[in-house]
Amino acid sequence: MTSLQASDGDAGRVRFLGGRRAYARLLARGAALLMATLGIYRFWLMTDVRRFLWCNTEIDGETLEYAGTPIELLLGFLVAIAVLVPVYAGFFLAALDLGLLGELTGLLAFVGLGVLGQYAIYRARRYRLTRTIFRGLRFTQTGSAWVYALRAVTWWIVTALTFGLAYPFQLASLERYKMRHTFYGTLPGRFAGAGWMLLLRGLPMWLLVVAPLALSVMAFVEAVDWGALADAVGQGGDDLMSHVEGGNPALGEVIVFAMLMTAVSAVLAALLYPVFQAVVLRWWTSGLRFGAVEARSRLRIRQVYGAYMRFLWWSVLFTVALGVLAVPLLMLIGFVAGRMPESGAGDIAATLVGLGGYVVAMLGYSTIYRATVMLSLWQLGAEALQLSGAALLDRVEAAGGASSPLGEGLADALNVGGY
Amino acid sequence: MDQATNGTNVGTGVFFDGRISTRRDVRVTLGSRLLEIDDTNGRLLAEWPYEEIEGLPAPDGVLRLGRHGHVRLERLEIFDAAFAAAVDARAANVDRTGALLHRQRLAVVGFSMLAVASLVLVAWLGVPALAGRVAPLLPVAVEQRLGAAVDLQVRNALDTRHTGAAFACGSGDDKAQARAALARVTQRLEAAAALPLPLTFTVVRRKEANALAIPGGQIYVFEGLIDAAENADELAAVLAHEIGHVAHRDGTRAVLQGAGLSFLFGMLLGDFVGGGAVVIAARSVLQSSYSREVEAAADTYAVGLMQKMGGNGRALAAILARIGGATEPGMKILRDHPDTKARVATIERLAPAAPGQAMLSPADWTALRGICKG
Repeated sequence: MTSLQASDGDAGRVRFLGGRRAYARLLARGAALLMATLGIYRFWLMTDVRRFLWCNTEIDGETLEYAGTPIELLLGFLVAIAVLVPVYAGFFLAALDLGLLGELTGLLAFVGLGVLGQYAIYRARRYRLTRTIFRGLRFTQTGSAWVYALRAVTWWIVTALTFGLAYPFQLASLERYKMRHTFYGTLPGRFAGAGWMLLLRGLPMWLLVVAPLALSVMAFVEAVDWGALADAVGQGGDDLMSHVEGGNPALGEVIVFAMLMTAVSAVLAALLYPVFQAVVLRWWTSGLRFGAVEARSRLRIRQVYGAYMRFLWWSVLFTVALGVLAVPLLMLIGFVAGRMPESGAGDIAATLVGLGGYVVAMLGYSTIYRATVMLSLWQLGAEALQLSGAALLDRVEAAGGASSPLGEGLADALNVGGY
Repeated sequence: MDQATNGTNVGTGVFFDGRISTRRDVRVTLGSRLLEIDDTNGRLLAEWPYEEIEGLPAPDGVLRLGRHGHVRLERLEIFDAAFAAAVDARAANVDRTGALLHRQRLAVVGFSMLAVASLVLVAWLGVPALAGRVAPLLPVAVEQRLGAAVDLQVRNALDTRHTGAAFACGSGDDKAQARAALARVTQRLEAAAALPLPLTFTVVRRKEANALAIPGGQIYVFEGLIDAAENADELAAVLAHEIGHVAHRDGTRAVLQGAGLSFLFGMLLGDFVGGGAVVIAARSVLQSSYSREVEAAADTYAVGLMQKMGGNGRALAAILARIGGATEPGMKILRDHPDTKARVATIERLAPAAPGQAMLSPADWTALRGICKG
């Protein structure tokens, strides 16, 4: 299967060997167990998912191996809890303080947890890399997670201030930092993607999404009588809005226009999101380098749309199935509540069914998303790759050991997990 | 395939020695105690004791082996199914069929469910018990500080400024009589309750027939409650109920419980999809189950306080029956809700049917009713 077929024509090829059905079965069973264990099973599911994705990804005739274990993830999570409990307790106590500290707590918590989240992302990447084994050699990651976290948070602020225009440069800069500190054995990684290349690809999309919003902001600036507004604010009082409306008869129309434009922007964003994902994925994978081994991606955008179509199709089927199942349940509850109106059993049952339905629906949609879009992005992203200089992969020497799973645990507790 | 694979004791494979990434085609011999790996020239590359051999994740059709706990990541891959089965038969830690994994997973699921059961028990019994023990120990100053923080949020949530009128009623010069009438009621209540912390009563422009006690002694009286009350005794009885919450430190306890439950479910359950909604729903379900006992205790307190002042102990029952027990936000406003019926019955059992002495003169009551008008 793997090595036996590695002929010269396959040199530098990346293939994905996993079956969609097998992956969907794995995810569906995992979702059921997640529900039954209130989420504790997630460490085992995550490990299964990674084992599947890693060991079905074949690079130049050899598959990857994921050597992490669920127990490591669980331990990392417990350690992260031990770290986070005092932090959360501190924020809770600080929030009770009414002085400046109390006012600033929200901001401090936001920034502090943001930095910690980026720290966790970097440490989690290190955990995953050191558990990735290829041809008997580990990947490793050096570098400081704190330096990365500060860079990442600074970039996020810049990106927010430039309405997203700095995002390509953020991605490029952070990816350069990550790859500069990544090694396959003794073979050093680097990132060769340029931010402006991604900017050029992304700019039309950015304009399409931002233009309607900008139009509505401009309409507001035109319509609002700023002098009257300043007067109203100066007077204070409780009926600010009525003052503003009184002075600007056109304001109602402008609000309708703004809502329309926001809707247009949202629809465009949803339609363009697969393009955005494909563009970023192609740009990212094309920039990966290990020594003289270079990757080039030929990812097609319509393939990503195909994955989203499958997601929509299965989501519709799932929704219909949920609806069909819900009807007899609701009738049963109505019957029980009708028989025993005094006990409140109907209320409780309705709450439980509502809650259960919500969890089943959310888990269901996320499972379908993982089994369609996320799997396809992995598979398409991998299979679109062509490596040059892959012969080098046969002569790399080993280096480095395994790392602690703490970052992974923090990432889990802070809700910033990835694959 | 060469002829060596015909016997199940000898087969072929691919070997990585863990020092360098070079792929080596190898001959694998299954000895009595050792698995022997030779390159195609017959040079010995590795000898693995069977008890150290472990199976590793691999794609379908490949048996990937490694040495457990070994410093170098030596890897041997076998592609021939019959030979893989022969290795599996000799090495106890190789789990080619996944039967061992399946048994381990069953144990994981079983223990996780036990953990869930214990978590639910802690949430159901442990958190309220802990909050109940801790709340009375908090100094009044801490409680007032906590209350001020909660008060900010409640004000933001309840404020009706957008309707064009102030949130709190009774600030105008023409409301002096109304303010005095309210003060007469609240001062009598406060004197009779004799709490260690001062109470503040504020009438606010909300249409719901409701009142709300914040930790630290702030009590909001909704305009709708004054409209729904038929006399000052009914209003005083609801206020007495809220004073009961302050006296029992119910608000503080609720904040502690909320924090405890958020932590328990939010943090331990982590980021599986829908987890956030489960936390919120679990909180509201559990807290409403706590609140039944809490409400009953506040009712009893209110009846006692009304009787202590010589007022009508049954006034609370009368107004509850009318407004349907919606004295707490988030509770269902249902006229025939069984909870309300039970509460009314309990109050009527506690208090004799004596009308008592009216709290306010008819003129004062009329003035008080107009506190938010105009």
